[in-house]
Amino acid sequence: MNKWFKSGKPWIWLTAGSVSVSLIAVVGLVLMIGWRGLSFFWPSAIHEMSIEQADGSTRTLIGEIYESESVPTSRVSDAGTIMDGYEGEKVTRYLMKIGNREYVPLDFAWVLGPAIRADETPAGLAVIERTKDGNFYGYPVAIEQQGERVATQGNLREELFQRMERAVELNEKAMALQEGEIGAINYELTQLNLQRRGLELSGSLTEEAINDIEQRREQLQSQYLEYEKELFALRDKAGRDSLIMRDMRGEEIKVPMYQVLDVNFPNDMGFFAKLGHFFQQIGKFVSEPPREANTEGGVFPAIFGTVFMVLLMSIIVAPFGVIAAVYLHEYAGKNAVTKLIRIAVINLAGVPSIVYGVFGLGFFVYMVGGSLDQIFYPEALPNPTFGTPGVLWSAVTLAILTLPVVIVATEEGLSRIPPTLREGSLSLGATKWETIWRIVLPMASPAIMTGLILAVARAAGEVAPLMLVGVVKSAPMLPVDGNFPYFHLDRKFMHLGFHIYDVGFQSPNVEAARPLVYATSFLLITIIVGLNLTAIGVRNHLREKYRSLEH
Amino acid sequence: MISVNPSTSNLEKLDLHNLPAEQTALDIKNLDLYYGEDQALYDISMRIPNNRVTAFIGPSGCGKSTLLRCINRMNDLVEICRIEGQIDMHGHNIYDKNVDVAALRRRVGMVFQRPNPFPKSIYENVVYGLRLQGVKDKRVLDEAVETSLRGAALWDEVKDRLNASAFSLSGGQQQRLVIARSIAIEPEILLLDEPTSALDPISTLTIEELISDLKEKYTVVIVTHNMQQAARVSDQTAFLYMGKLIEYADTDTLFTTPSEKQTEDYITGRYG
Repeated sequence: MNKWFKSGKPWIWLTAGSVSVSLIAVVGLVLMIGWRGLSFFWPSAIHEMSIEQADGSTRTLIGEIYESESVPTSRVSDAGTIMDGYEGEKVTRYLMKIGNREYVPLDFAWVLGPAIRADETPAGLAVIERTKDGNFYGYPVAIEQQGERVATQGNLREELFQRMERAVELNEKAMALQEGEIGAINYELTQLNLQRRGLELSGSLTEEAINDIEQRREQLQSQYLEYEKELFALRDKAGRDSLIMRDMRGEEIKVPMYQVLDVNFPNDMGFFAKLGHFFQQIGKFVSEPPREANTEGGVFPAIFGTVFMVLLMSIIVAPFGVIAAVYLHEYAGKNAVTKLIRIAVINLAGVPSIVYGVFGLGFFVYMVGGSLDQIFYPEALPNPTFGTPGVLWSAVTLAILTLPVVIVATEEGLSRIPPTLREGSLSLGATKWETIWRIVLPMASPAIMTGLILAVARAAGEVAPLMLVGVVKSAPMLPVDGNFPYFHLDRKFMHLGFHIYDVGFQSPNVEAARPLVYATSFLLITIIVGLNLTAIGVRNHLREKYRSLEH
Repeated sequence: MISVNPSTSNLEKLDLHNLPAEQTALDIKNLDLYYGEDQALYDISMRIPNNRVTAFIGPSGCGKSTLLRCINRMNDLVEICRIEGQIDMHGHNIYDKNVDVAALRRRVGMVFQRPNPFPKSIYENVVYGLRLQGVKDKRVLDEAVETSLRGAALWDEVKDRLNASAFSLSGGQQQRLVIARSIAIEPEILLLDEPTSALDPISTLTIEELISDLKEKYTVVIVTHNMQQAARVSDQTAFLYMGKLIEYADTDTLFTTPSEKQTEDYITGRYG
């Protein structure tokens, strides 16, 4: 035994063991989140169950089985449910998503295993994705066009898909009109108001200018009215059809077609149809904006906001950090003050991020942003332009937060460059600056990239400071759009990290939102890994390029 | 006894201690050098003739590299280094306050112990100094590349792969590339700091032959701890010991009839 200890084998086992534990933890986490996040997109079967109720009557439930759990029978009976004739020690209960939110008190229902009298997954059951009130489960009965039933059993499905596509297309057109042309007019109208106010403030608001502005306004107004007419026409057209559905209570319910986003018959799908649907759902998730207080729909604005903010932050932090590191390493005297500064910089990395958030709010938003507003945007006051949280201040705050990482990594890189190369450059008549610019910085670029990778990894996952300096639950507009000047850095934005928090813990419908939390988490991890892999790829390329001989 | 390169010994011998100004490339006067409190060079005075090869020899730590690095002010990079005395180049002290160090280094090129090509292509390595001077004309650059690489006896080996990385060359080729890089900016003086100590014997031979050619255009100062090499390539040799210049004479005089006991001990291998 003693010999075994002396041989060093236990330490090998210990080290290998700790690596394995970390590896298992990471892989397990990713697998768990990935599994739960992705399985949400897989079309699950729709069950039609008849449930025996306490008074002996039965009730039909239609919906998806969300999860099942095993609980002690005693706990169920203690809760007041009568469990006559059931002997088992444990009882399985199912959580069913029954949808049809506006017709039932709760769109989720717990079902006890022994109470199920019948359970089948009949063909013909449809799940309808709607723009409001979540999913609808039921049997399609007929299609109504302006109050008349035009299609019943025989050609129902064909008609249904055709008319749904028509309505979806019209809706999309209306949406595009609203966000494109009408949005642009609204933007221009706001700009006109600001222009007028600006002229007023500078005292040069002449009759002529007023006339000009009024003329322009009228022009825009008339354009607006035309577009509005077009919009209403589109909406009217989309509202032509409705779908008659029979729900689990046996009642016929009219679902207006313009609310329908998609209809599926998961019980009739084969494997490949399901697979196709799975990828289609993922596509929708990453490309569509959220609906209904973020509990439905996609997360596109959050993806966009996260990536945009992180890129903006990288653009700010990289030059700033590199310049600071170059000064610290190359120019600053090697004395106690420099050492102190270096220690301070390293310690900055340990400051809790919420503190940066408070600093960002106080300094950047209120002080810098407020002053910018006074100087450049007086016409908009008292409405703040930059004096309010926004994507720019978020990026700047995170840049400050990640600055130490970039500085430390860059300094490390600078100190690894062989002194003989510097001497070689200097001996050819280069000044110190020329040497740094032409030899040292290119060779340190892999280290700079490493710093940036760490910075991006930290920034993309950071939520706390953002809640103070620019993130919102739902942003009406992206920070980049077609209106001049195209990049609107003063706008608030959505962020995946905050989205997870919001959906998971601030949502009115926790059960409906839970899979979204997993899916969004998985997406956030994917994006961070993606950003990192890109940066690592660039770094490896640079490393290969500037690979120096082993000195 | 060490044999002296016959081509070298055929040169007219110079009176090193009363060298006329027009034959003097460098005039080192009473040079003292300190690293913080420690003195590394003691009162060095010598004249280095132009278009000749001068070798500094001596045991490790004797200050021969330090003295060499004084000539292009490379010691400025060492913060604790302090220099007293002066080095005159064409009658001007290179340690004057208003001397442009970068301009001085353009006139005094340097090759280091280990090959230190930049992580760039062969072509870019050679034109580095010219680009620093703002030369952009492709024709001028191309021409300089060919002349310098020919001058460093490397042209024939690399002319077909000028855009390949400098790291693809062997150690000896890299060292010749570094020499080409130095002569591309046409310096007056070329300092070689143990240029072959990291190379194999064949590369060493190539470089030694190159050094003999170089003196036609440049004044060469070489530091070496290899006495045979000093004897083979240099016209005059300075022996340094413990930071002091012990003896400075024609190479064959120094190696055949040294006047100092310490020199004799060193070249006969009693220490070093």
